Amino acid sequence: MSRGGHIRIEHLNKQFVVDGAPLPVLRELSLEVAPGEFVAIVGASGCGKSTLLRLVAGLEREHDGTLQHDGAPITGTSLARGLVFQEHRLFPWLTVEANVRSALLNSGVPRSEQAKLVQRHIDLVGLQGFEKAWPHQLSGGMAQRVAIARALVNRPQVLLLDEPFGALDAMTRARLQQELQHIWRSEGITMILVTHDVDEALFLGDRVVVMEPRPGRIRRVLHVDLHHPRDRVSAVFTDLKQEVLAELGELAEAA
Amino acid sequence: MSAIASTAPGDAPAAQGTVAAAPPRWHALARGGVALIVPALVGLLWWLSAEHEWIAPQVLPHPLEVWRALQEAVVSGALWDNLLISAWRALGGFVLGAGIGLLLGVSMGLSPTAKDYLHPTFKAFAQVPVIGWLPLLMLLVGIDEALKIILVAKAAAVPVALNTLKGIEGVPTRWVEVARIFGYSRAQLLRHVVFPAALGPIWTGVRYGLTHAWLALVVVELLASSEGLGFMIVYGRQLFQLDVVLAGVVVVGIVGYALDRGLAAIEARLGRWRREAF
Amino acid sequence: MLARAFQAVPRPVRGWVLPVLLLLLWWAALRWQWTTSPLLVSPLQVWDKALSLLSGGEAWAALGASLRRDLIGLFIGASAGLLFGATLGLSRWSERLFGPSFHTLKQISLFAWLPLISLWFGLGDPAKIAFIALASFFPVVLNTFEGIRATPPELVEVARVLRFSRAQLLTRVVLPAAAPAIFTGLHLGLIYAWLATLGAEYLMVAGPGIGGLLVDGRDHFWMDQVLFGVILVGAVGMALNTLAAIIERRALAWRGRSAGLF
Repeated sequence: MSRGGHIRIEHLNKQFVVDGAPLPVLRELSLEVAPGEFVAIVGASGCGKSTLLRLVAGLEREHDGTLQHDGAPITGTSLARGLVFQEHRLFPWLTVEANVRSALLNSGVPRSEQAKLVQRHIDLVGLQGFEKAWPHQLSGGMAQRVAIARALVNRPQVLLLDEPFGALDAMTRARLQQELQHIWRSEGITMILVTHDVDEALFLGDRVVVMEPRPGRIRRVLHVDLHHPRDRVSAVFTDLKQEVLAELGELAEAA
Repeated sequence: MSAIASTAPGDAPAAQGTVAAAPPRWHALARGGVALIVPALVGLLWWLSAEHEWIAPQVLPHPLEVWRALQEAVVSGALWDNLLISAWRALGGFVLGAGIGLLLGVSMGLSPTAKDYLHPTFKAFAQVPVIGWLPLLMLLVGIDEALKIILVAKAAAVPVALNTLKGIEGVPTRWVEVARIFGYSRAQLLRHVVFPAALGPIWTGVRYGLTHAWLALVVVELLASSEGLGFMIVYGRQLFQLDVVLAGVVVVGIVGYALDRGLAAIEARLGRWRREAF
Repeated sequence: MLARAFQAVPRPVRGWVLPVLLLLLWWAALRWQWTTSPLLVSPLQVWDKALSLLSGGEAWAALGASLRRDLIGLFIGASAGLLFGATLGLSRWSERLFGPSFHTLKQISLFAWLPLISLWFGLGDPAKIAFIALASFFPVVLNTFEGIRATPPELVEVARVLRFSRAQLLTRVVLPAAAPAIFTGLHLGLIYAWLATLGAEYLMVAGPGIGGLLVDGRDHFWMDQVLFGVILVGAVGMALNTLAAIIERRALAWRGRSAGLF
């Protein structure tokens, strides 16, 4: 696939209808993500960041405003936009290998090529040797890695991640963040990560978007101009972290 | 599931930006109406085929005949009498069987030693269904009430025992550990932790027990009785009075349904806290 | 004190204590004639009867006939059940149309259908097979329906992201996810089919079968034959159950021990 991956969001409005009354979830949200960029979105629960991601993925459809991928309006899911959920959501009846391969079902890649592609991506996430394992035999971190491999095997232009490491312990989380960053740097895919972990957002993102809730809006966008890999305990990092936390803290007080 | 996913409404795939509001009243009525379409069609077919004798009346009697047979049975008191007899037998056998089942289940559940001794034999007995035991018991105790009560009791005891056992064994250890930290005595542990936790599965067992008891009763009455609903059905069949047979079947079905519904309602009342567990 | 005695017996032996005791009681009742009923036969007589029936071929003929009916009826009932259950599960409309009627019919005690069936189909094999099919039909439908209904929406979303077509969704997500429930349904269908086989043979005594063995024994007051029949019934039931469990374990090897799916 060509290295596109430009996401444009303009004046995005989204509401749900609860008990007959409209509940605004996202209001006048505008954001542009350049190809190859890594954008991290942080915010407390209920700020609509997951809904935003699902709209970009095409899982949610009704909305007002512009939502485009490389100039084409987003009207549904696409193999050019991969999605990693918080739960690994692997098909429990398929082995690791078969799970990754299941993403290639409608990709048009000839069967002879599929095996190679699958193996490449299993190696990419560091799970060589586990091709024949069942999901129930894997730890949480390993299963999530398979989910990432599955999302990448189609070589999407955009990878969307919805709190992918939220269910994992701190050490696994740190390791997977590093691996994700490594993948990003070598594959050059546009990545949009939703998280409530400020540390994670600053570690991974070129830009950090801070959202505020009720209704969901962008409060602030920070540019993170640090070189990778970033030092989580450096002064600059800590300062940025303080800034973001301050934004979120103000939100918490105002709430 | 992320906190967002569980709190944001409309994340269910069915929703396309909207969460379904509570459906209007007429929705429920329409539902009920649709449910009746198939029975109504079948009824119509039945009526027509009987009117035009597409099928011999011995095989498929006219619906009015069945209704008449039902009415007659009700009026003459035969239906009521037979129903009562069946009901008493079922109840008696069920109470006996459930009691035995509970005893077995509790002892096997609480004492691994008891389980070692009793479980294999119990399983072997459970393998043979009521029908299998019928000839044997007939030879042993004849065809009196004892036969029916014993067989019904056996039918009820098996599911009750199995479910009770599973329920007691399935009490999560973590709750037991909490009780131990609080210094509960064995009796307190049983009363405040084990039995409330096991109550759900035990009640499920009781429900199955009742269903199986009713089933077993009908079987036994079909084969070895001179009164009761099952007998009524068989009698009608011997005389090729299909209307009587159908009437009997209908009543059997209604009673079985009512019993199950009643117990299900009690189960729902008892088991409210269990919803989240699954 | 007693408890100590009970616990003194080594574990693998404990299961045998009760059966052995019962056998001893049985033998004692005979030896000292605790009852004068001519029905009381000795275990040895049962053994002899078993051997004669087995070597004479009657037992095998009966077993074969019963199993044949059981499996044919099961096949018909389970196939129809899978189809109907899948239809109910996949199509909201068919569930609304047929669901309530089905749920009502399933409440009717299984054996209450027998007299009806015997009037419509006679007493021969077709009637028995019809009854067996009916018995296995209901649990298969129920479990298939529930299995399909319970497809985790989370996995359906994955299928949407991966652009599965409707057919692919059905065959590669819904069906595998419903497989455990479907197997449970088939297992129950197997149990009920065997139950129905016996019941049918008992009530419609035409043709060979284990039920026939039992009825025969009862009519002639041949307690030993009846007991042999009972043992046979239990043995076949247990064998079928074990077979089903093995197949289930193989097919659902991916399940592992955890209850969580994803």
